[in-house]
Amino acid sequence: MKLPSPRWPSLRRPVLHWPVLHWPVLHWPSIRGRARADAGPLVLTAVVVAVVSALAGAVPSLLRSTADEAVRDAVRRAGSNADVTVTARWEPDDGETGRIRMPRLAEDVTALRERALNELGGGLRAALLPPVAGVITPTLKVTDGSVLRTLRLGYLSRDGGPAVTWLTGGEPGPTEEGFPEVAPSGPPWTVSIGLSETAAAAFDAEPGDHIPVADEKGNPKDVVVSGVFRPADPADPAWRLAPWLLEPVTGADGLGSTRFGGLLSAASLPDARLAFGPDDTKRTVWFSPDPDVLTWESADRIAATAVTLKATSASSSSFDTASTWNTQLDAVLRDVREQVNAASAQASVLLIAVLTVAVLVLLLAAGLVVHRRTPALAVARQRGTGLPVLAIELVIESATVALFAAGIGLAFARTLVSQSVSGNGPQPSFGVAALVAVVPVVLAAVMAAPVLAVIAAARATRDRRAPANRSARRRVARTAQMRRVAGELAVFAVVAAAFAALHQRGVQPGAAVWLPAAAPTLGVLAGALIVLRLAPVGAGFALRWAVRSTRPLAVFGASRVAETAGRVLPLVTMVVAAGLPVFAFTVAGTVEAGLRDGAWRTVGAEARLDLAPDSLASPELVRRIAGQRGVSHVVAGQVIDGARIVAEEVTVSPRLVIVDARAFRELLEDTPLPDGGALAGLESSASPSASASAPATASASALPTLFPDKSEMSDEGSSVPALVLSADGGMRVGMKLQLLRDDAPAVALTAIGTAPAIGGAPDVVLVDANALATAGMTAEPDTIWATGPGAAQAITTSGVAGDAVIRTEILRERHDAPLVSGLLRLAWASAVVMLALGLLGFTLSAAATAPDRWQTLTRLRTIGLRPRDARRVATAELLPLAAVAALAGPALGLGLAWQTLGPLALRLLTGQSADPAAHLPWPALIVVSTSFLVVALAVAPAESALRRRQHLSEVLRVGT
Amino acid sequence: MTLLTVRKITRTFGEKETAVHALQDVSFDVEAGTMVALVGRSGSGKTTLLNVIGGLDRPDTGTVHVDGVEVTALDEDGLSLLRREKVSYVFQTFGLIPVLSAAENVGAPLRLARTPAAERERRVALLLDLVGLGDHAGQRPGELSGGQQQRVAIARALAASPRLLIADEPTGQLDADTGRSVMALLRGVVESEGVTALISTHDPIMMALADRVIRINDGRITE
Ligand SMILES: Nc1ncnc2c1ncn2[C@@H]1O[C@H](COP(=O)(O)OP(=O)(O)OP(=O)(O)O)[C@@H](O)[C@H]1O
Ligand SMILES: [Mg+2]
Repeated sequence: MKLPSPRWPSLRRPVLHWPVLHWPVLHWPSIRGRARADAGPLVLTAVVVAVVSALAGAVPSLLRSTADEAVRDAVRRAGSNADVTVTARWEPDDGETGRIRMPRLAEDVTALRERALNELGGGLRAALLPPVAGVITPTLKVTDGSVLRTLRLGYLSRDGGPAVTWLTGGEPGPTEEGFPEVAPSGPPWTVSIGLSETAAAAFDAEPGDHIPVADEKGNPKDVVVSGVFRPADPADPAWRLAPWLLEPVTGADGLGSTRFGGLLSAASLPDARLAFGPDDTKRTVWFSPDPDVLTWESADRIAATAVTLKATSASSSSFDTASTWNTQLDAVLRDVREQVNAASAQASVLLIAVLTVAVLVLLLAAGLVVHRRTPALAVARQRGTGLPVLAIELVIESATVALFAAGIGLAFARTLVSQSVSGNGPQPSFGVAALVAVVPVVLAAVMAAPVLAVIAAARATRDRRAPANRSARRRVARTAQMRRVAGELAVFAVVAAAFAALHQRGVQPGAAVWLPAAAPTLGVLAGALIVLRLAPVGAGFALRWAVRSTRPLAVFGASRVAETAGRVLPLVTMVVAAGLPVFAFTVAGTVEAGLRDGAWRTVGAEARLDLAPDSLASPELVRRIAGQRGVSHVVAGQVIDGARIVAEEVTVSPRLVIVDARAFRELLEDTPLPDGGALAGLESSASPSASASAPATASASALPTLFPDKSEMSDEGSSVPALVLSADGGMRVGMKLQLLRDDAPAVALTAIGTAPAIGGAPDVVLVDANALATAGMTAEPDTIWATGPGAAQAITTSGVAGDAVIRTEILRERHDAPLVSGLLRLAWASAVVMLALGLLGFTLSAAATAPDRWQTLTRLRTIGLRPRDARRVATAELLPLAAVAALAGPALGLGLAWQTLGPLALRLLTGQSADPAAHLPWPALIVVSTSFLVVALAVAPAESALRRRQHLSEVLRVGT
Repeated sequence: MTLLTVRKITRTFGEKETAVHALQDVSFDVEAGTMVALVGRSGSGKTTLLNVIGGLDRPDTGTVHVDGVEVTALDEDGLSLLRREKVSYVFQTFGLIPVLSAAENVGAPLRLARTPAAERERRVALLLDLVGLGDHAGQRPGELSGGQQQRVAIARALAASPRLLIADEPTGQLDADTGRSVMALLRGVVESEGVTALISTHDPIMMALADRVIRINDGRITE
């Protein structure tokens, strides 16, 4: 053991005229000497400050750019749902006896576009791409008797585009110039259209040919081909609104149908209006948002503008030509805003956790430095150095270290941020938020050592012997005890406030974000204080056991443990540093598990096929899918959103699912989704042959009874058993329900159990197809669920029009969403950083106690303790702290996760309907626990190796 | 019977110009059951000699035998065993274990020797009574006076019934009266416990109490 004083090159001269106030004289050699002597802990402090500054500095900026990216991503995904559309009626065209042809309709379309642009306002206009204006007619059926083909006519205009070249014939012209009046009873008014090359080939049509079409009611229309065109740029955004003008689209108007398009020109648009009913065609302007210019900040304003526009247009009368605004953009932005809020709440929770652990570890490092310096500080004091001088000298040292390290950390954060934000988005601002997050760490690094050192120096020179008088001693003890209890009560009060805030309003952006966001950290801290209270009790028990035990070494380790058990900082730091990584790992694990679960819930199976409207899932199709390799279950059913159901005289509109109960239960049992249990209750009436014969292992429910022979149906249905799920309790088990139908009597249902949340819907009514058929309602299956490793492949290649929804794709898409992947990365990074800090803290606190520990061990060596036993005793001393951290930390982290994940609204990121249950990645828990124990086991041999060269005689010579 | 044999011990610290010859060709014998005072000026090599004899330090040349065991040939484990069974120390700075009570400090060598608990407790009580600290068994070193601490240290040194007790200026940090009572105690226990004691001191009274005085000057025995 070395005396610290000789390592300090020189100690201060006494201040001579001490009563005279003068500027303190700093002693630079002392400052340098001290720093050199304690270079190790100072470097560690710098590393901690740098790492945490890098993390804390990067997070706000990354969060910001991730939020921007999330907004863009959401708008891109929403596709045409995010479009803003404006529609307006035409001016009336009533004449004396019939309708008058209005030749300037194309100008009216342009006028609407201009008007819409004006009404938009600057903020929203900047976020939208140049609009496309146009008119699209209702669908016509092609009546040439062949396959099912439909025709729609469309007029599009976008800044003079979209340009086309006419291959044969020419642009559609007016049927008649001027303002002729058309009698309502006359023959159908002729409309000229242009056809794309594919369409012309399909119709085998040339300029001048008529295409035989009729409207829904069978009234024939007269459509004549003026020419065949080719688009100058098929990628022109205008075509996106009516892709069928270029290429026929299958399945758009029902199974097996193909939609063709007829291009109208400004000249033939008036004829198209006349060919249809007075209000059958409307002018429309489409705005698509420009994701590239959207930012998190602008999103709010844009959503507000969109809401205002919709609100004002809704109030206008339906008989004038005012524009009606329509968009889902505000809803899309509101959703992403909720997600961003949830993600930033979770990020601030994690950041506060990291900062707390960092501050605690910095305090430990400062404690170590001061512990080593105490004797020399006392000498300096005795020689007359004033406390202010000492404080200033120490602040100079710590500020240099802290600011330098923070600078490096922030510079690193800055490069990290600018590298991670690639692409065309605006560069994130690296602003005040980053600096604010770094402040607590820098402050702790600057202030901790000087404050502790000044206290230590002041103590060293003050006479602090316990008063001789016994009652006075007791009074002092009681005061200390009261102070401690008061401090603990204050912490618990803050914890309670944080929890109350968190559970009442979650972590909403606003003034006091930090309080609810600090709840998990404060909770772990409070738990650590309780552990701190228990530790001396436990150590006392251990000591009493050790004293009585026959193991010669136990008593030495146990007495050292009992000695150090009451030390606040090491224990609190260890418990917090073990607990918060577990919390962070739990956040990550819960999000991952929630994503998996959410994907299952959204799809309801391994893969799902939502058939195009008007097309049916035929038994052949179901059998074909079931026959594919790797498909284990296939079920077809009908899903009706917004079914009208009367529950106790209140009409609700849940999702109605009509499915073969037994087959669906078997399918659900093949997934991790909850339950089929309740479905079993619906099965009693199911026909035993529900699963059609299928090759190999696949069982297919082709639902023979979904296509029942009409004659078998009974008209008077007794009540059909149903499962219900209701978010607001509008439908409950035991209720009688009425399923309303358009052209048929209502079907009576009885709620006998709880339905699964099919596709994540909040309100669901599920009935067995067979039972419903018996009651007189035939299902028209439009949805196919499939499970098994080959299900995704089988569904995507089914060759039927419809949306294939694949679980693994949904999962990957959600996992890769900017907010989710960003949060996961942050959770992992902060967990790892906190764990590393915790282990560093452990070695620091071991270093602080090392001199006392090895003094005891050396003394034991002089009475015959063997070197290897000395190591064992040292380990026995260090292990309990690690064990407490390894046990109490994870327990607290898990408990806090369980308590606080709900208000943190992880469901917004995982795509689940309810908050995910806390899910712990076990390997992470084991890593956290064992790493503390492993470090504890490694420290004693390391310490003894460091002291190997010291002879007992030298150690004893200095009087220790 | 000769308990301690020291032959041709030299111990030099440092090298070349800065070399300090702390011990030079030191040889002597000590009979069992005697109390020997080692006397010399400060820096004459007393502590160095005692450390070499007790195995806390190794000489450059020469041998030390204690009770037939060649101390200078032992490895660390052998030395540990030697300290457990044959040689014990009393330091100027007491060397007690701060976290253990007086009784536990005295009992520590017995624990290392795996003495049964009942016997250990009996012997600890006896030794504490012997050094006059029967009433202070539960106090920690920090709660005892310097003289009391040194008496605990002496009791601890006697606990495992060593053959040789080495004490390096045991009264160095005590006032004259306390020092005298500690010396009287040492004299008494050498008699009652039958140990051989080698005690370095500056104190003339101690020399008077000793059976024999060995003088050391600049690392050489002058007797
Ligand atoms: N570890 C060491 N390194 C260098 N020199 C040493 C060392 N230990 C002792 N010495 C030197 O050896 C000589 C003898 O020292 P020692 O401590 O044995 O003297 P001492 O007789 O015990 O003195 P005192 O009565 O003051 O305790 C001294 O000159 C001392 O400086
Ligand atoms: Mg000495």
